[in-house]
Amino acid sequence: MKLFEFVRKRQWVPITGYLIYVSVLTAGYYYNLTFVQLGLTDLGTQEIGMPPGDVSIVMAILALLTLVAAVTSGVLMDRRGWSTDLYVKFRLLFLVVLVQLFLTVAAPHVSAIDQFVLWVIVCSVALGVGIPVSFSFMLDFVPVRDRGYVAAIVAGLSFFMAALYPIKWQIDEFSLVMSAMMVPAILVLAVLSVKRFRFVDRLASQHERDAFGTGRFCRPIPVRTVSFAFWGPVLLMFGVFFIDSLGFLRIIETPLYIYTSWQSPDPSVRLFIAVLHVVGALAAGIIYTNFDRNWLFLWVFGLFAFTHLLYVFHVQFGAGDTPPLVLPMFYVLAVSFYTTLNFALWPDLSTPETIGMHSALGVGIAGWLATFSSTSLALYSEAIGLSLANHLMYVNALALLFVVALPVLVYVHRMAELARGGTTP
Amino acid sequence: MNLELIPLLIIALLMISAGGADVETTEFVIEGDHEMTEHRGALIVGDATVTVPANEAVSGPVYVIGGEFRVQGTVEGDVTQLSGSLVVEDGGIIGGELQHIGGSEVLSDEAVITERTTVTLESNEPGPIAAYAPFVLTTLMLALAGAGLSRKRNALLDNIGAATREHPLISLTVGALLSVTFLSIFVFMAFTLILLPVSILGLLTGLLIIAYGIIALGYLAGQQLNTSRVGLATGLGVVAIMVLLQVIGVIPILGDLIGGGLLLMGLGAVVLTYFGLQEFEPVSLPE
Repeated sequence: MKLFEFVRKRQWVPITGYLIYVSVLTAGYYYNLTFVQLGLTDLGTQEIGMPPGDVSIVMAILALLTLVAAVTSGVLMDRRGWSTDLYVKFRLLFLVVLVQLFLTVAAPHVSAIDQFVLWVIVCSVALGVGIPVSFSFMLDFVPVRDRGYVAAIVAGLSFFMAALYPIKWQIDEFSLVMSAMMVPAILVLAVLSVKRFRFVDRLASQHERDAFGTGRFCRPIPVRTVSFAFWGPVLLMFGVFFIDSLGFLRIIETPLYIYTSWQSPDPSVRLFIAVLHVVGALAAGIIYTNFDRNWLFLWVFGLFAFTHLLYVFHVQFGAGDTPPLVLPMFYVLAVSFYTTLNFALWPDLSTPETIGMHSALGVGIAGWLATFSSTSLALYSEAIGLSLANHLMYVNALALLFVVALPVLVYVHRMAELARGGTTP
Repeated sequence: MNLELIPLLIIALLMISAGGADVETTEFVIEGDHEMTEHRGALIVGDATVTVPANEAVSGPVYVIGGEFRVQGTVEGDVTQLSGSLVVEDGGIIGGELQHIGGSEVLSDEAVITERTTVTLESNEPGPIAAYAPFVLTTLMLALAGAGLSRKRNALLDNIGAATREHPLISLTVGALLSVTFLSIFVFMAFTLILLPVSILGLLTGLLIIAYGIIALGYLAGQQLNTSRVGLATGLGVVAIMVLLQVIGVIPILGDLIGGGLLLMGLGAVVLTYFGLQEFEPVSLPE
């Protein structure tokens, strides 16, 4: 790892960059993972009393608005050169976190549908701006060589906290804890937004170094936005996020499976899940760093297909018994794998000139749009009374489709390259 | 699930398959305390305590491969005990045949057992020679295979050894992921009964890959001897690795972790190098 080299040479500035990146992304992802995705459902259904179908529509609105806001801000960042200006990015992040603090404090007081919709609109704008800003930090702070490992640490830590931290997944508990966590971050960002520091100046120029700026898949030729090399991974990541959320929401709402899920009342089960998240993420980091990315995609789809097969099997033949931990184990591995991939992939498909647009499209479409559209679909399937077994059967079918489609896509792409006269693999 | 249960589970599923029982009604109880009151179909008792209460009946057949099976009521069919503990209490009835192959059993004088057979596979307390014979034989076979392979196809072991030496973390990660995933898949396949042969074949292949990995580790260890007799060095290296795995197992937890880690590393290196046919090179990244 390049980090060890920095430590050996006592180069503390780049090391600070690693710390800033891990802190920002871990906190941001934890917030989105718990407060937005799960807290929002709780706010709509439990606090306001909206039917699940209506909440699913609001979630879809959130997804679309987040995507629009992310792409708009990503394009603006690239065109105006903000993607390469660390101080501007700190200012933008300060604004985003400030808005999120207000939203977090306001959340428990939202009691009517129109307030809820307004809350969602403001939230989606903040999230949308936050996506290209936070993901582009990787080009400033993390060298290409270490991106897989650092992404793994972010993914592992976020899930570790989400699985282990013993608060109920409800909006009022979230609100209090999140607000307390955000205040110190806002103070630090406020200082960094108005005052120049020498160590920040040095961090701000790191993206110009060969080891940092240009992503792994942009060497020697940068990946263009309108290309198979970019939209292929977007499609695959969309599939991964969609499959995950579609199955996850129904599983954690089935009482039998709560006991071996992230919401288990048994601390030892949550500890098992939390530790496995970290182990899974580290394994994904090692694979991402040392192999072609398609292997990681293939492994993720394979894991999801097998996981859902296990759940379907247990729903049909489990006779109502508490499921064995092997079921959540594979789910956890799959989730840790693709989350690690998500953090590293978009910066590695970008240069400092395209990171805003690419991370906005990648995370916006593959992450937010897929997650919220599948969450909406899961709520809808619940509302129309589709059984868990049938629901998971559809999820499994999707996972299997991607397992088959990935090698076919890679093969066809290679054929197209050869037909055009290309020779390099 | 206790990994040691897997071979017994496969045997139990083979027996169920041979007996013509319906897989859809077969239940495998892995953990916890359970009372069975009206189960119709085959039942496999794993790391769990399963009780048939008084005045209740299950159809059977029942296979005990671990944990404890207590009969206070009635088992209408056969009971086969491969391991674990079987207790038939006063008034307990086994309507079919009770076949004892392994494990401990407590049978009350007041219990009703229609037919009872005992299959003795080994003496209860084997002597030191009998106890270590499987280990010695396995080591000898691996050492001979390693000696032969290193003399005739040295390049294969060179590639696997290089992957283990230069990329231990990658080898370990790949080995661990493959073993966890494929072990679960093969156990899952076994439950379908149709894929039971594939499952057994897969598990045997896994064992062979692990053995190949041990040979490669032995080859690496043998290189430390700095001798031109590569066959002898590999053979001795394999013996050293096998003894190390045996001895280190004495240390609780840590010993198992180190031993397991070595085996998984070997397995990962074998797969990464296409069984030694190709040198493993990770993707190149800018420094």
